[in-house]
Amino acid sequence: MPLVPKEVYEELKDYCSRLAQRGYVTAHGGNASIKAGNLMWITRHASSLEKLRFEDVIQVYLDKPSSFDALSSTETIVHRQIYLETPNLAVLHAHPPNSVALSFFMNEIIPLDTEGYYVLRKIPVVEGSPGSLELAKNVAEALKTHYAVVVRGHGVFSAAKYMDTAYQYLCMVEHSAKIIILTKNLEKAGFKFIQPKKF
Amino acid sequence: MYGWNGKILVVDLSNKTLKTLTINENVLSEYMGGRGFGVKFLWELTNPTIDAYSADNVLVFAVGPLTSTLIPTTGRFTVTAKSPLTGGIFYSSCGGFFGFKLKNSGLDALVIKGRCEKPVYLQIDDETFQLKDATHLWGKTTKETIKILEEDLGKDYSFACIGPAGENLVRFACIRGGDGNFAGRGGLGAVMGSKKLKAIAVKGTRKTKIADEKSLTELMKKIRVRISWNPVLSKALAYYGTSALVNIINEHEILPTKNFQLSRFKDAEKISGEALREKIFVGRKSCYNCPVACKRVVKLENMKVEGPEFETLGSFGSMLMVNSLEAIVEINQLCNELGLDTISTGGTIACAMELSEKNVLDEKIGWGDVEKIKKLIVDIAYRKGLGDKLAEGSKIFSERIGFSDVSMQVKGLELPMYHPDGVLGQALAYTTSNRGGCHLNAYLISVEILGYPYLMDRFSPVNKPNIVAYLQNLAAVMDSMVICKFLGFEFDEETFAKLLVAVTGKPYTQESVVAAGERIWNLERVFNFKAGLKGEEDKLPSRFKVDVKPMLKEYYEVRGWKPDGFPSKNKLKNLGLKVEEDAVGSQGSL
Repeated sequence: MPLVPKEVYEELKDYCSRLAQRGYVTAHGGNASIKAGNLMWITRHASSLEKLRFEDVIQVYLDKPSSFDALSSTETIVHRQIYLETPNLAVLHAHPPNSVALSFFMNEIIPLDTEGYYVLRKIPVVEGSPGSLELAKNVAEALKTHYAVVVRGHGVFSAAKYMDTAYQYLCMVEHSAKIIILTKNLEKAGFKFIQPKKF
Repeated sequence: MYGWNGKILVVDLSNKTLKTLTINENVLSEYMGGRGFGVKFLWELTNPTIDAYSADNVLVFAVGPLTSTLIPTTGRFTVTAKSPLTGGIFYSSCGGFFGFKLKNSGLDALVIKGRCEKPVYLQIDDETFQLKDATHLWGKTTKETIKILEEDLGKDYSFACIGPAGENLVRFACIRGGDGNFAGRGGLGAVMGSKKLKAIAVKGTRKTKIADEKSLTELMKKIRVRISWNPVLSKALAYYGTSALVNIINEHEILPTKNFQLSRFKDAEKISGEALREKIFVGRKSCYNCPVACKRVVKLENMKVEGPEFETLGSFGSMLMVNSLEAIVEINQLCNELGLDTISTGGTIACAMELSEKNVLDEKIGWGDVEKIKKLIVDIAYRKGLGDKLAEGSKIFSERIGFSDVSMQVKGLELPMYHPDGVLGQALAYTTSNRGGCHLNAYLISVEILGYPYLMDRFSPVNKPNIVAYLQNLAAVMDSMVICKFLGFEFDEETFAKLLVAVTGKPYTQESVVAAGERIWNLERVFNFKAGLKGEEDKLPSRFKVDVKPMLKEYYEVRGWKPDGFPSKNKLKNLGLKVEEDAVGSQGSL
């Protein structure tokens, strides 16, 4: 196998494990990648992010396909497009339940919570079949102007220069989605929504 | 009747009779078609101890209940006979359009018995069947044969034919099933040659009747989406064809090199899918109703030809130390036109090259000598000089000169392009395959290298016997339905059962589908035992370091077989196989 640097594997393993611990991915869902030059290291198709093994990280090219695309995540095409169209160096994709649930009802998610609003401002909701060029283009386009994007009924992509930042964005999307759902439920239960005076 | 036509054509070449018979409904349900029909009919009609070239050997061309439907890859057919290469039962599956047309002719199978004195070909046009003189075709290459038949009969027909290698009884001669599709392995082309049957031409206008069109349409929507999501099917195979495997397999250090003496080829990149795509790729081609379209069209000087598959790239590339893509394309063409299986041809020449290097042979055959390889291939097909000896296959050839350890085969079948030392499950699959050294009876590479459906530790024996047995059963089902093995990268018995129910209306379940595969596998095993391929033949060449014995013991237990490798009475009974241990085939009639 083309040699994957040990520190790349360790970083991917760390953040993939965190996504799993938070319940943002199920058994074999989600994927993650790191870019370096014309290369991308991405998690293997159907690998378990809970327990990423060294052989679960696959090296592929950015500017061209290679036979190793057969081993890499179904969403390799999306990660590749993000790197080609944005200056990001790390991408995470997970299926956090509140964000996915909310995507069935909204075309964009505007966080109600202060931190989510200040950092993310707006999270677009896009469409596209998993692994399709349509999805790749929609996600990459959205990430040109946003830190994260929700694919309707599917999951969240976040991208940043650093893996830790991408992880922060993804967690914030899910946190904001949870706040919206909780808030709506409270409203439905008769509580009156009070907008903060200084937001 | 839904799914099947319920009818077979029995051709007796010895007395030139052709008759159609109705197939028992239980046989349809339990054996499905294709490979299942092959073993069922061979068991019923032959004595497993016969010589493969005797008039008593039976060739079964068969399609399945799903053939010629909207389900992807359902234009295939299988051929089954006793193999002159392994001495056991052997099926080979072939893509293209021949199976589609055979099904549309109103038949589910052709059963060909006996032997002609003069060459003939069989013409099938819906319900009209006739044997025709093929003297003018004898000696022609496969390409020439198809061209002449197309001119004589028209392009509405699909053809299956043999080349000079089949006529000259080369033990690894193949059957060409149309443009660039082959029933490649096991020497079934030589069985056709021994019967003086040069070709089969078929056309038909019927349509397969579907029991539940609505369910099938719904299933098809889901199937197409899942194919488009699967990276192997929709990306790798579509973009590179099977040549995508060259770099992957080489990087895992399991690409057989220099007759399996090495497992990594330093020039793999030069013969890889990437190189093929960049240098000689012209276009893609597909079999009947296949969205994957894995076949490559490549340029060779001023011609467009069908590109070499992964197995051919390895067999004539790394195995023989040839690093020229163009040379492999030429060699592939030569084999295709002469009607030779490329894996066995490459494996047998590799064996000769190693013996030449050891100064065992008088003739000097250097590694990577392309001109010598081409000459040897022609000599094999026409059985000239050293080629005549090599035409027996690497096992017989090497045994005759006292160097059997140089032949890289199992049960006489030259091994495909995955070095068993780096994939323990695949090693067990080679060892236990009813065909011999074969990757298509259980493709463990899928779970041990590619990670489909998930990645298993390739160096660990844990759970491998279970997985091998399961995949063998599943492969038997896929070959009997009859569909392409590539669908196995995404689908399993859950989908297959639903498809069978929708098409045939029969109450198939996941369990009954796998049981059908197990029944077929066990009957093949019984046939092989009676033919002389007993448990002792479940072994790898001594060159390999992998120890399969512990896995083999567990595998026999998983299978419900006795310690000698023969199915237990209980197992046979549970599968509904009425086989007396001392019986030698049913030798009945259909």
